[in-house]
Amino acid sequence: MARRLRAQARARELSPAQVIEILGRWGEALRGAEVDAIAGVPFLKLWLRRATLESIVIRELGAAGLQGAWREEGRAQLRAVALGLVGHWPAGNIEIQPLLSMCCALLGGNACLVRVPSGLEREIGVLIGRLAEVADGDVLLERISMASFAHERSDLQRAMAESVDGAMIWGGAEAVREIRALPFPDWARIAVFGPRLSVAAMDADSWSGGERENWCRRLARDVWQFDQQACSSPQTLFLERGATGDIAEFAARLAQALSREQELHPRRSMEPAQTSAICLARASWLLADGTRQALFPAMPDWTLLLGSGAAIPTPTQGRTLSVLLVEDLLEPIARFDGMVQTLGLASGAADRARALAEAAGRNGVDRIVPLGRMHVFGSPWDGMDLVRPMVRLVRHVPASVE
Amino acid sequence: MTPRVEPLEEQIEALLAAPTFSLEPAAHTARLLAVLQGELAYAAERNDRLRRYFEAWPVDYREATTVADLPYLPVGAFKASPPLTLVTPEQIVHTLASSATTGQTPSRVALDAPTSRRMVKGVVAIVSNFIGPRRRPYLVVDVPETLSGLPQLGARAAAIQGLRAFATEIVCCLEAVRGGEPSLDETRLLDLAARWRDQEVLVYGFTYMIWQHLVMPLRERGVSLAMPNVRVLHSGGWKRLQARAVTPAKFAAGVSAVFGCDPGRVLDFYGMVENVGVIYPDCEHGNKHVPAFAAVVVRDPLTLQPVAAGQQGLVQVCSVLPTSFPGFLVLTDDIGEVVRYDGCGCGRRGIAFRFVKRIPQAEIRGCGNIETTRQRPASVAADV
Repeated sequence: MARRLRAQARARELSPAQVIEILGRWGEALRGAEVDAIAGVPFLKLWLRRATLESIVIRELGAAGLQGAWREEGRAQLRAVALGLVGHWPAGNIEIQPLLSMCCALLGGNACLVRVPSGLEREIGVLIGRLAEVADGDVLLERISMASFAHERSDLQRAMAESVDGAMIWGGAEAVREIRALPFPDWARIAVFGPRLSVAAMDADSWSGGERENWCRRLARDVWQFDQQACSSPQTLFLERGATGDIAEFAARLAQALSREQELHPRRSMEPAQTSAICLARASWLLADGTRQALFPAMPDWTLLLGSGAAIPTPTQGRTLSVLLVEDLLEPIARFDGMVQTLGLASGAADRARALAEAAGRNGVDRIVPLGRMHVFGSPWDGMDLVRPMVRLVRHVPASVE
Repeated sequence: MTPRVEPLEEQIEALLAAPTFSLEPAAHTARLLAVLQGELAYAAERNDRLRRYFEAWPVDYREATTVADLPYLPVGAFKASPPLTLVTPEQIVHTLASSATTGQTPSRVALDAPTSRRMVKGVVAIVSNFIGPRRRPYLVVDVPETLSGLPQLGARAAAIQGLRAFATEIVCCLEAVRGGEPSLDETRLLDLAARWRDQEVLVYGFTYMIWQHLVMPLRERGVSLAMPNVRVLHSGGWKRLQARAVTPAKFAAGVSAVFGCDPGRVLDFYGMVENVGVIYPDCEHGNKHVPAFAAVVVRDPLTLQPVAAGQQGLVQVCSVLPTSFPGFLVLTDDIGEVVRYDGCGCGRRGIAFRFVKRIPQAEIRGCGNIETTRQRPASVAADV
C-alpha cells in the first residue's frame, strides 16, 4: 500500500493550487444533517475555503509555491517538493483533526496514510465520503489511504512508521512518546504537535467591567469545544485582581455561560473515568485548602474551581476550569514555559495586551489570541508551519551561473 | 449547635438491629436518609473542609429528599494524607489501608472503637443471612503474618478479621516464604481437612490467593480435600485472574473440585475499606443486595443521576456505620449494573445489582493530555 501511495504521488505532481481547488469543492459539499452532526465541521468548511488555504501556502511556500513553480533566490532556484508518503497519527479527541492533518500534507503534494483513531471511524468515513463524491476519479483520491487499528497493535504501528517519509503526530504525552519511538526511516521528517495545554487570562477591567458577559460567553465556548481535551483548550483562567471585581459575581456569570453551552451543545456520552476524575477534582479542590471555593451542577457538565495563585493546577479536563486570582497577570506568565501553547486573552488596552503577549511569547507560548478564538486552527500551529515541514526545498543552481 | 453522636448511635444501632434484607424499600430509604443527613451534619461540624464541600454541593443535604441527592465523596478522596477523619488521633484504634496496585496510593480510613465494633456487627449481620449465624472452624487462605496486630491493617487483614466472629478457631494454611510468594502448607491443610471433614467450615481468602496458592497446586496433583460442608467466601476482585482467563464460573468449579463441595457453596463478595462493615455477597440468583444499614446508587456517567433497572453506571456505596471517617456516601471507581430495584427471586428486598468491572482507564486521546507541567518555580520565574 505504501509503495503504491508513494508511486502515485511521484507519478503525477499536483500543485498546491490544484489541491486547493479540490479541497474547496469538498468544503462546499460538506452539508446535510449527517455531516452537520459532526463536531468541528463548520470550522472545517471555513478552513477548506480557497482563500484560507491559499494564504497558508503563500505564507509558508511563497507565491510561486502556490503553482508548484521554481522561485528565484539569488543565482539559484528553489522549489518545494513533496516528501513522498506522509503518515498521520492524529489525536482521538478532535473529530476533524485527521482530515486537517491530511490536508496539510496534501497541500505539499504528498500522499497520505492516515491512522484513524478508534471511535472516529464513522465520522471520518462520512466526511471522506464527501471528498470521494466531489473528487471522483481525481488523482488526489488515489493518494489517500485511511487505516484504523487498535493502538496496541504494535506490529501495524511499526509497519506504518517504517513505510513513511514523513510523519505528523498529534496527541497527549503518552501517545506522542509511543509514536516517536517507532522505527521511522532515518530520513523521515517528524512533526509533533502537542502535548500542550492552554491558559486563559483576563485583566481587571475585562472581568469586572461591562464586557464581562461577552468575555464569559467566549471563554465558555473555548472551554466547551473538544471537551477541553485539545492542546488549545483553556484549563486555567487567571484573573488579575482589581479594585472593583467581585469574583463570586463573575463566577456566577461564567457558570451561566457554561450552562448555556450545555444547553446548546449537550454531551452525548462520557467516559466513566472522566466523570470520576471530575468528581475527584471537585472534592480534592475543596478538601485540600479551606480558602477555596467551587461551583458545579449536580451533573458533570462543567466545574469551576475558584482560588488564587500563579501556578497552573494539574488539568482535569472534562470542562473543569480552575479560576485563579493573581495580583498581576505577569506573575503566572513569568512561570510559563514551553508547555503552554495558547494564551487566550481578554485585555482592554492594546499596549497592555502587547506587553502580555511579548512576555508570554518569551516564556514559551506560541499563540496569543483573544478569548473565543483559542481553537481557530491556522498556520503557524504550535509555533510551526503546517505545510512546509512535509516538503523538501530543492535547490537548483543552473550551470550557466557556475 | 454541635450535633451529638449519641442520638446518631441509637439510629445506627436501630438500623443494624433491623431485619437485614427485608425492609420495605421506601421505608428503608426514608430511615436511611434521615440518619445520613444527621451524619453529614455531624461530619460538617467536625471537619471544616468537608463542610465547605457540602456547602458547594448543588443540593442542600438538609433539604434533600433522596439519598441520591446527598453529597458523596469520590473514593479517591480517601487517598488524602493525612486521612480524612472525624475523630481525634487518640480515638483511632486502627487504620485500614486498601490494597493499592503497584505505584498507586492506597486509601486509608481511620477507625475508632465504635466504628470498629459496628463494622463487625455489619459483616456478621450480612454473612449470617447467607451462611447462618453458627460459629465454626475458620480456614484462612493467607499467611499468619497478615493477621499480626499492627495499628494499620491491610484490606486482606480487615476482611479476615471481619469474619472472625464466625470462628471457633482460626487456622492459616499458607506459609510466608522469605522474598517470595506464599506457599501452601499442604501437610497441615490435609490434617485439618481430615479433622474437619464432616463439619461446617468457613473458608476465606482473597480471590487470587485462593486460586493461585490453594486451587492450582492441589489441582495439579489431583488432591481433593473432601470437605463437602465448607462455605468458601472470597473477595478482592478479578483483575489478577482475568489475565489468566479465570472466569467466576471457572473459579467456582475449581474451588468446588478441590474442596469436594457444591459450587453453590462458593460465595464471591464485593467490598472495600472505604465502605467498611458492608459487604455484598452474590445471592443464589447472582445478584448483590444491600443491608438495612446501607444503600447503593448506580449513577449514569453522563448525568450522575441514578440509572434505570437494566442499565450500568458508576457504583456509589452508602453506609451509616462509620462515624470516625466520612465514609457515608462514597462514589467508587467501579461499574455496576442495576438488575432490578426490588423483587429479586431470592427474597431479599431492595436493589439487586451486579459488579461489572473497574472503570477502564480513559484512553489518552487528546493533545491536551500532559503528564507533567514544566512551570518554573516562583524563585526562577522572578528572575525572568
